[in-house]
Amino acid sequence: MKGEYLIDDIIREGRHHADEVEVFYVRGSSISAEIKQSIIGAAEASREWAVAIRTIKDGRIGISSTSDPAKWRECLDAALASGRIATPQEWHGLPKPADIVSTAPSADRELVVDAGGAADLIARLLEGAAEYPVDVAGGGADLARSHLTIANSSGVLYGMERTSASVSLEAIREHSTGYEFAASPFTADIDPRSVGEQAAFLASHSVGGQEILTGRYDVVLSPIAAAQLIGTILVPALSGRNVKAGRSYLAGKLGEQCMDESLSIVDDPFARGMGSTCWDGEGVPTQQLDFVRDGELRCFAYDLKTAYRYGEDSTGSATRSGAGGAPAIGLHNLVVDGPRTRVDDERAIFVHTVVGAHTANPFSGDFSIEVSNAYWIEDGVAGDPIRTAMFAGNLFEMLRSVDGLGEDSRIVGRLILPSIRFNNQHIVGT
Amino acid sequence: MEPRYYDIRCVRGEVTQIEVDDGVVESAGTSFFDKTVVRVLGPAGWGILVLDHVDLDSRRAVEAIVAEAVPLAGITEDRVDLAPAPRGLLASPPLREDPRNVDLEEKTRLLAEIEAAARLPEVVNTRARYTEGIDHVRFMDSSGSEMSYETVRSGFSVVAVASRNGVMQMGSERDHITGGFNLRDKQGLGQKAGETAVDLLGAGLAKGGATKAVLDPELAGVFTHEAVGHASEGDLVREGNSVLKGKIGETIGCEGLVIVDDPSLPGFGFDPVDAEGVKPERTEIISGGVLQAYLHNRETLAAVGDGIAGHARAEHGAAPQVRMSNTFIENGDATYEEIMDECRDGILLIGSRGGQVDPGRGVFQFNAEYGYLIENGEKTRMVRDVSLSGEILRTLHDIVLIGNDRKMHPGYCGKGGQSVPVSDGAPHLLLKNAMLGGRGS
Repeated sequence: MKGEYLIDDIIREGRHHADEVEVFYVRGSSISAEIKQSIIGAAEASREWAVAIRTIKDGRIGISSTSDPAKWRECLDAALASGRIATPQEWHGLPKPADIVSTAPSADRELVVDAGGAADLIARLLEGAAEYPVDVAGGGADLARSHLTIANSSGVLYGMERTSASVSLEAIREHSTGYEFAASPFTADIDPRSVGEQAAFLASHSVGGQEILTGRYDVVLSPIAAAQLIGTILVPALSGRNVKAGRSYLAGKLGEQCMDESLSIVDDPFARGMGSTCWDGEGVPTQQLDFVRDGELRCFAYDLKTAYRYGEDSTGSATRSGAGGAPAIGLHNLVVDGPRTRVDDERAIFVHTVVGAHTANPFSGDFSIEVSNAYWIEDGVAGDPIRTAMFAGNLFEMLRSVDGLGEDSRIVGRLILPSIRFNNQHIVGT
Repeated sequence: MEPRYYDIRCVRGEVTQIEVDDGVVESAGTSFFDKTVVRVLGPAGWGILVLDHVDLDSRRAVEAIVAEAVPLAGITEDRVDLAPAPRGLLASPPLREDPRNVDLEEKTRLLAEIEAAARLPEVVNTRARYTEGIDHVRFMDSSGSEMSYETVRSGFSVVAVASRNGVMQMGSERDHITGGFNLRDKQGLGQKAGETAVDLLGAGLAKGGATKAVLDPELAGVFTHEAVGHASEGDLVREGNSVLKGKIGETIGCEGLVIVDDPSLPGFGFDPVDAEGVKPERTEIISGGVLQAYLHNRETLAAVGDGIAGHARAEHGAAPQVRMSNTFIENGDATYEEIMDECRDGILLIGSRGGQVDPGRGVFQFNAEYGYLIENGEKTRMVRDVSLSGEILRTLHDIVLIGNDRKMHPGYCGKGGQSVPVSDGAPHLLLKNAMLGGRGS
């Protein structure tokens, strides 16, 4: 492949102008088929190729990327030009080759990126959706495989495969909607039939929702709703960069009992999830990171740049957003765990998803959002649906007193988490 | 098999980004992309192929990618027809200052000045980000249409975080334009972000529940976008995923309400031609409170009717979707004073932290940057973390007064994994029965 040869050329050429050079190279292909009202609408295939170059000279980091192999010299020049503007910082070098012995379940050898496979997934989604009297509004299936390579002028050269299979379905009945999805590196881990069925159940079950009076209620957040809030509010607060810059609620709280003692929050790059990997976006070996153990805040996430600047160590937490992305502090698989219990025995409001989680205040933890597919739950049985309601609270305060982690667990983006019960929450209704 | 139709859209370009964080230039540089999207219409629906760096001047390369997309179209079952639509390219507004003529050093210095202006006492962190995109777009289709154009967009955002006794609050400002360079003389916005963050440290919590609310033009623009814009998108209507389906000709809003989407205006959502080669024109979605039209591409116009094509847009490397462009409520005749006076007791909501809608269910939510209580027609105590939710089919009837001071605000809108530049706006609005989310008591 052209790309692999290019890596050597770029590093050799870059070394004439910079102390260090790093190349991140991605090639991949994907297939997706989309559902239009119970049949297959558009089918799309894509092939991508991208290279991101970083140069470091006298502590000045430059970066650029391109999706055109013929433009690699222009891209290298742009990286060098970018480095001339960046503020110089403390820098002790890109990582040297490490003996990586761990393995991460990032790719499914069986996964084939083809239209027939996507069409099969769709057939199973629709089969599940047919269990309830709903219309299918949309959805789809995606299959993707990519090959990632990182190389630097210190001799690092790692490659990995990443695959993903994902399905989603949106059902509608009267003015009630229901959305479900599943994604995994492994096709066998997703069950399209139950995704279709669950979306249809939600749409169907939410018909005829009742008003609710403003007041305090016990609430169970589904893994999706919990991930929406945790992703917007807690995840940025765990970034070492936000901590050092004074814009994390958790800054200065290391060693403190910040959360309920039942709660552990761990980044596990070796778990079976969407971010599984043995090396991070800068070629640093990954490790399990115990952010929170039994409610105690233990550490933050660092990439090389932030670690060097503040005298910390990289935690192998650099991630790249897509092909051509610059490395930044991120997560691999954030696992929320602790003792499990039945969270839906005692009467509570179950919230499947929320609308507007991204409008929360990440610095204070405050949010006020609209709930979706909310219904009463008791003895594990779904009861009367709730038409509309707002949920107002503060996630950091809520995490101090968790009233139970459910027995379920699922992948939601880069998070792996159960349903979470929070008692005595503020619901705004009529 | 011969396709019924195909089109090819290639976007080549560069993105320049600069990030300054607490006075430190974190990154400053340019990246390059070159993406081609081919759509082929088979016996039923679309086969789509997305590729990097295709040579469109080569006849053979074009034939090869079209041929490769044909079998994809073969697995589709949903019959797509395309409505005829006027082709054509609007003249782009003249380029004011070309950002390509300003070097990276100067851009960085100007951005750092905006960021520095936000650093007020009690502000603990300031950040600013500059984004500039130059797109060279080339479009061709099987009917022989071929056109190309260039867009230049630039703008910035600045965020200040203030802290006092463990309380942390933020203020943010942004400004983006099309057709020019947008970093000069903008320190005022940096300072405003800092002031908002500091002021919010002393703000109270709003009490949740139904109330009368005055929306400022920025938030009323987001309201227009979330409460009406998305639900009027023809693809959602076609899928049955919009509460506005089947409502053409019905009165869904107050008297005098006019809501428009106009991609031909030189706002941040301007495109000289849509992503299917159709000449952009104004669509009046609601007029006199009555639903008049949906937003369409050629496919949804053929399937649904009521409206015009020309609203197809796409991020580079992605297939076109029906999207908003410049979306707004037309001016009414109430003055700001009349609106405050009529409100008497309620809440004034200012600025936007974004919003979201479930168009099928007809429920939306959006968040103000901050607000003030209105007591006796006067603006009083500042409040923070206030959001509004509502139901599309009820809320538009609850607009009591429409101001005469419309302003547009630029932003980015996400749908189906794609982000496109848009602008939205409105004059000040007075809403009754507004559902306010807040945990104060």
